[in-house]
Amino acid sequence: MEEQAKVLAQNKSRKQLLSNRLVKNIRKHWVLYLMILPGIIYYIVFKYIPLLGSVIAFQDYQIFNGIAGSPWVGLDNFIHLLNYEDFHEVLRNTALIALYQLIFQFPAPIILALLFNEVRILILKKTVQSLFYLPHFLSWVVVGGIVFELLANQGIVNAIREMFGYAPILFMQEEAYFRTIVVISGIWKEVGWGTIIYLAAITAINPSLYEAAVIDGANRFKQTIYITLPLLLPTITVLFLLNIGNFLELGFDQIFNLLTPMTYSVGDIIETYVYRAGVLQGQYSLTTAIGLFQSVIGFALLWIFNRLARKSEQGLW
Amino acid sequence: MKLSIGEKVFQAFNYILLIVLASTMIAPLLHLLAVSFSSPIAADTKEVFLIPVDFTLATWKHILQNEVLWRAFGVTVFITVVGTFLSMLFTVLTAFPLSRKEFMLRKPIMLIMVLTMIFNAPMIPFFLTVREVGLMDSIWSLIIPGLISTFNMVIVRTFFMNIPKDLDDAARIDGCNEFRLLFQIYLQLSKPVLATIGLFYAVGYWNTFKTAVLFLRNPDLWPLQMRLRAFFTSEEEMAAVDLIMGDFDFNTTTLKAATIIFATIPIVIVYPYLQKYFVKGAVLGSLKE
Repeated sequence: MEEQAKVLAQNKSRKQLLSNRLVKNIRKHWVLYLMILPGIIYYIVFKYIPLLGSVIAFQDYQIFNGIAGSPWVGLDNFIHLLNYEDFHEVLRNTALIALYQLIFQFPAPIILALLFNEVRILILKKTVQSLFYLPHFLSWVVVGGIVFELLANQGIVNAIREMFGYAPILFMQEEAYFRTIVVISGIWKEVGWGTIIYLAAITAINPSLYEAAVIDGANRFKQTIYITLPLLLPTITVLFLLNIGNFLELGFDQIFNLLTPMTYSVGDIIETYVYRAGVLQGQYSLTTAIGLFQSVIGFALLWIFNRLARKSEQGLW
Repeated sequence: MKLSIGEKVFQAFNYILLIVLASTMIAPLLHLLAVSFSSPIAADTKEVFLIPVDFTLATWKHILQNEVLWRAFGVTVFITVVGTFLSMLFTVLTAFPLSRKEFMLRKPIMLIMVLTMIFNAPMIPFFLTVREVGLMDSIWSLIIPGLISTFNMVIVRTFFMNIPKDLDDAARIDGCNEFRLLFQIYLQLSKPVLATIGLFYAVGYWNTFKTAVLFLRNPDLWPLQMRLRAFFTSEEEMAAVDLIMGDFDFNTTTLKAATIIFATIPIVIVYPYLQKYFVKGAVLGSLKE
């Protein structure tokens, strides 16, 4: 008892001391506190309040009663989701597109960076890189517009098909092509931008490693396989982990701008569905439950893959 | 370095591959540019590749006289200029205290802010919050809810932390307070990083789309991207115009091509300037992740 009281008293005095120090710190550097105040308000209002607002996933949220006045329903919304046909389809679409992106889109900038690295003519390298970075700065509305125009019935892709005697295809209206178009347009827009970080990592590699390899008789190909790639692995791992944490977040803008009602069955993803059912139709609680589900999956995947990565001492934490 | 025959073949192959791929980055835009200057008949009979066929300015005359489009252009210019300024101001104001050792709450506040990069609020609670704040159908809904990018803030903070501290002492002797220290000394020394994040913000605001989809019901407030989307998705927006004008020197194909080019030109114009800074920024930010 006595000891406990002592510890408590100690803790109390420590807290006292800390708050005294804080008051002093605020008095002395009040300008710094004033500076950061708008930032703190911003993070509270637009980051943390919405985060806490996710509790409506466990409510039957009614807009006029607010969070305080709406009834709690436990896991009802989540149970409802699991038995809900639409959700199954949306989840399957999201997971499949995410998987295709991981398989095809994730490695693309690594390969491209390695190819860039082999270019010896500096001016050619710069020009090619400039062209590759450009699409990153276009919005998905514009890129979506470009894709629709190029693949339209009178578009250039069908013009080329006709030159070879094939019948035109309405690519954007057919389910079979949707996911391929998503992956290819994603690569087109972001592959160049994605190389920047790998090129920076390649530049950081010690040149003496290559010199030693040359003495050992390694050609350029072997140098790439045995030096460049292994030394890129930490960068690749970190980017992979950051990617996997957002696994189910495909990006609203891209899909929204490529999707038509004809391709909903293969292309409607969580974010576009949440927008229609939540923002437009007002099913707030159900769609928040979907959002939470998405975050939990992302976090679980991040956790699992981080554990795997840590075994080779390359985890994020 | 001497190359073996195999390596030479690879080099040649690599150059050709990269040149071909790089031209696919620009070719779609050049094609649409050509379509926008072609006659509708040529465009729809698939005669146009990279050079206009039956050259006409009709499409562009129509586009450039479209008041709705210019209005959206004005909204986008406004949010790009005002938004970039406000975002940079508050990013700098947030990053500076977090870079100071004497700021006692530096670590907990930094942690709280960086955590939002991992724990993102779902769309609906975010939407409801912005509505509660009263930003629905306000042009400010395109700026305030995304005011500070944590990514950019971390870039600036890192840059501030690497500025030598001798300057602080000199400033203190001169009786500088922290506001003047930030605005008269630190910002002067941070021009490259400010240019980088300024460009990131500006491109972000220029391409504003999702926030407009979420928060703007009133078409008068729509930014350019939103207006483009309306043009692309509803044939009436363009077809109706065709009928009223009774003019057949353009159609939806050429109009769509021209609006895409219209929205892309500003980006292409600032692109060479943009390029000077963004590579550095992309690397700076990634190091801290």
